[in-house]
Amino acid sequence: MIFDTFSYFLLFLLPAALLFRGVAPSFRAPVISLFGAAFFIYFSLTTVGGVAGAFCLGLFLWEALVSRFYRPGSALCLLGIVQALVILFVFKYWNFTAGLVAGPGTSWRWTGAFLPLGISFFTFEFIHYARDRRENRTEAGGFWEYLAFILFFPTMVAGPIKRYQDFLPTLRSPTRDWANDFERGCTRILAGLAKKFVVADCMTSLTQHLNATDIARAERWILPFWLLAYAVKIYFDFSAYSDIAIGSARLFGMKVKENFDWPYARENITSFWRHWHMSLTRWLTDYVFIPLGGSRVATGRIYFNVLATFLVSGLWHGAGLNFVVWGLWHGAALCVHRWWTGLRGDCVPSTPVRWINWGLTMTVVTLGWAWFTMDLPTALLFYKRLFLG
Amino acid sequence: MNWLLRLKHWLEFLGGATDAVPRSFNGPGGWVLLAVWWMALVGLITLFCRQASKFIYIDF
Repeated sequence: MIFDTFSYFLLFLLPAALLFRGVAPSFRAPVISLFGAAFFIYFSLTTVGGVAGAFCLGLFLWEALVSRFYRPGSALCLLGIVQALVILFVFKYWNFTAGLVAGPGTSWRWTGAFLPLGISFFTFEFIHYARDRRENRTEAGGFWEYLAFILFFPTMVAGPIKRYQDFLPTLRSPTRDWANDFERGCTRILAGLAKKFVVADCMTSLTQHLNATDIARAERWILPFWLLAYAVKIYFDFSAYSDIAIGSARLFGMKVKENFDWPYARENITSFWRHWHMSLTRWLTDYVFIPLGGSRVATGRIYFNVLATFLVSGLWHGAGLNFVVWGLWHGAALCVHRWWTGLRGDCVPSTPVRWINWGLTMTVVTLGWAWFTMDLPTALLFYKRLFLG
Repeated sequence: MNWLLRLKHWLEFLGGATDAVPRSFNGPGGWVLLAVWWMALVGLITLFCRQASKFIYIDF
């Protein structure tokens, strides 16, 4: 929940934003860090992770300390990346991997497993900082500044995934137009809450049927509507979350980059991914796709790089085979689009063709959500019922 | 397609996603409209908040 609770607004957002605006510049980073730490502990205890989750605050403190030793070209940066990956693996993928390797009943399973709040997001920010320090693409900043970066609570739990280079200037010189920030920030937060409650949550009455029992019993014609409802729900849910995060940051006088830009209005899958969860797409491009060679390699290798990047994207979204298939589904779609664009050249499509392109893109994206929201056997049953009756 | 761009601009403004004020919004009437919009949003949120469910992207 978090963003739709009174405690978020009354205990954290308003006091932190007011204090941040009121204190001397040198105290801004400590204010964000301390409120971020309190936020992490409070919502770990009340929402995700419990007491053990709250103790994971130590990960942030350890990261902030170790990162002070990162230097351009240093091997310690690589160790920092490995450390972040190990943290993510242990908490998120241990049981998944143990189940794959040793079978579902293995004693290797971690029975008390839990997910620390926002682990998928904060580990990506750890990796970004370590890599960019190694490549000398960002300055080190101070201890409190880095702690404020990783503990900035509006974006801590589910992004948008920030970059230190973007965060530091806005932390040091937040905008001073308090009235405009307040009006725009509150409008954004209210719009986000309305999107979540009025649209996303209303779709639940349809999306709750996406389970094996209901799919097996349902009339065939209703199945696409359930999946379309999920497409609407996930967009309004996640973009609402990003709205509230960006609006909250605005109350501090800080601008966070956009995460969505009308993705469902796009006419091809490449454009869709440039406008859906943009902070993740940028992260995957910079830290997976380009290090693999990007698109400056042989054609076959480019396709491999795209598939590998979206395999990582799928796995990041969840430790399950359905997420692997979802990632590969989109990777394959991007490869097909790349191949088709190369074949077709630079001709400008006519209006009817553009509508067809949009329809195809929406079909691929919507069908893809089946892998995202259902486990593998259920998704396969859904497809079987949808296409074979 | 101009009307579509204008609609997009209005939606982005009403959603708080842009600082650029639509031309027809200027003047005191605009601020009244914004106040009405805020009240409408608060009303909708109050009306629908009882069915709230967890955000999908939390704890994954």
